[in-house]
Amino acid sequence: MTSTLQTMAPAMSARGLTKTYGVGDTQVVAVGGVDLDVAAGEVVLIMGPSGSGKTTLLLMLGALLRPTSGSLLVGGVDTTTAPQRDLPRLRASHFGFVFQDYNLLGALTARENVELACNLAGTTGTAARTRADELLARFGLTGRAGFRPEQLSGGEKQRISIARALANDPAVVLADEPTANLDSARGHEIARLLRGLADEDNRSIVIVSHDQRLREVADRVLWLEDGVFREVASMAVDPVCGMQVERTGPSLEVDGITYWFCANGCRDEYLTGRAL
Amino acid sequence: MTRRLNRGVPLARRVLFAERRRAALSVAGVAAALLLVLLLDGIFAGAMAANTYYVRTGPADVVVSQRGVRTMHMSTSVLPTGTLETARAIPGVQWAAPISLTTGIVANGTGRQLSYVIGYDTSSGRGGPRQMVIGHAPALGEALLDRIAADQIGVTVGDTVQVLGTPLRVSGITTGGTSIVNTTTFVSRDEFARLRGTTTAYVLAKASLGTSADRLAQRLRAALPGVTVQTRTQFVASEARITRDMSADLLRIMTLLSFGIALAVTALTLLTVTLTRLRDYAVVKALGSSSLRLVRTVGAQAAWTIAAAVAVAVAGAELISLLLAQVLPTVQVLVTAGSVSRTAVWAAVVGVLAALGPLPRLARVDPATAFREAA
Repeated sequence: MTSTLQTMAPAMSARGLTKTYGVGDTQVVAVGGVDLDVAAGEVVLIMGPSGSGKTTLLLMLGALLRPTSGSLLVGGVDTTTAPQRDLPRLRASHFGFVFQDYNLLGALTARENVELACNLAGTTGTAARTRADELLARFGLTGRAGFRPEQLSGGEKQRISIARALANDPAVVLADEPTANLDSARGHEIARLLRGLADEDNRSIVIVSHDQRLREVADRVLWLEDGVFREVASMAVDPVCGMQVERTGPSLEVDGITYWFCANGCRDEYLTGRAL
Repeated sequence: MTRRLNRGVPLARRVLFAERRRAALSVAGVAAALLLVLLLDGIFAGAMAANTYYVRTGPADVVVSQRGVRTMHMSTSVLPTGTLETARAIPGVQWAAPISLTTGIVANGTGRQLSYVIGYDTSSGRGGPRQMVIGHAPALGEALLDRIAADQIGVTVGDTVQVLGTPLRVSGITTGGTSIVNTTTFVSRDEFARLRGTTTAYVLAKASLGTSADRLAQRLRAALPGVTVQTRTQFVASEARITRDMSADLLRIMTLLSFGIALAVTALTLLTVTLTRLRDYAVVKALGSSSLRLVRTVGAQAAWTIAAAVAVAVAGAELISLLLAQVLPTVQVLVTAGSVSRTAVWAAVVGVLAALGPLPRLARVDPATAFREAA
């Protein structure tokens, strides 16, 4: 899957993306010359220690922060050279954002939170309301449409946040620590939802997180340290359970093809299935 | 319909009214300030209506007064002898009636009222009260009292009151003649002559069918060069002007104070709402909102605050005017469309000024802060 994705034209392409703060002796390089192509339908997980530049990179990828140098092409537009006044429109048309703290507007209901994002993308009135209802229904939140964020659980809030991120039908969804405030079950649920956005909608998903649970849904895991990518781990799909797995665990070579598994149990099950 | 269907989420209203207690207090604060202006304006409008009631609602089309005298309020008028007869002889005059007028005290043992005392021709009734509730026209030794004044000093038909220091029997009760300042008492011309002499203060003239008030006034001016002739409309306008001139400074000071308070409350509300919602605004910016859109949001919040406050203030003023009519009938509060419009325009100016406060802060909201952990 990974190799197929990487041969496709990237939905988002960053070249030499750099952000520095200060000048001279006090200059700090937050992100230094990052190259990144993200294909449509691909989930890229960016991990790294605190202060490694993950959020700075995410902000630049989302046209929320001007890079010091480099380029970023999304939908045929270089967001790094676009006039400042055009950036809100670019964000509203190309990106969906999922935040660590959900960042739902407390004064609005769940439906209105999603509807507002539709409005910002240029859809208003009944069309926006219908779109919001469809998205809430997709994530099993129809019954929560009229609730305010304070009346919802963390998992529900994050699902609404994801629904909101899709309001403008973006090619790219950028998620910042989307599972940080969730328990294990809710975290897995959100991870699967994000994977679903790539598989079902062919969207590019870029996740910045410390959460190891997210590795299982990522096509690629990138390690950012001191503002540069140190290691790239290509992920494979466990043919039994369908989970994304690193190419370091249990494996099996059949007819010249190497299969990777999340655990020996899956590998044994695969072998048993072939024997039958 | 199309407009309604195309409407977006009312972010401004939702954010403004998210904390209902604060919103209610803000609207109440602004409304209280506007209410002061409306009430003061209404009290003076009521006083103006009461002061002009006698001429405004009477049948006369033209009022003749001493040269240079244009009002009854704050004025003394004495017409030259022969004015009445000359007026009656002018073509187009259906009738002309003399009235005497002075200001004095009407009292009994329990109370006293400052009063216009009008002497009129009781045989024709011209120049007399517009409406009598009970009783009959006053004969010698009798007077007509306004209902509110009669109630306040506790007299009714048949009782005796002191008018200009002379005891007169109350022969009837009239309405519409009492204001916050004074009341109106009617006596016959003969009784007035006994009390103050036989002078004529004003001549009221009615135009014949087919003669306009303006035309009649022109003819009277030509025939009576030594007096002032005004149509009823002009006379009422003169009365209104003198009342307005007397109250203008006070009204101006109170209006400035009230709008100052309204401005402070509105500005503080908008600033507080903006500062407490900065993260929300950062999120909205991150999602694709322009700064201009957020500016419009604050503008809409100002508009909502002001509109709600104006509505509350108008309702409050109407309610207070109804209550005052029961409790203090001499204080007439007239909430006019003009007064409401003026207050609304001033309030809109307040809203615009108040909205300027949060704009610099709003313009500086960095959408990237949406990605930082909430405090």
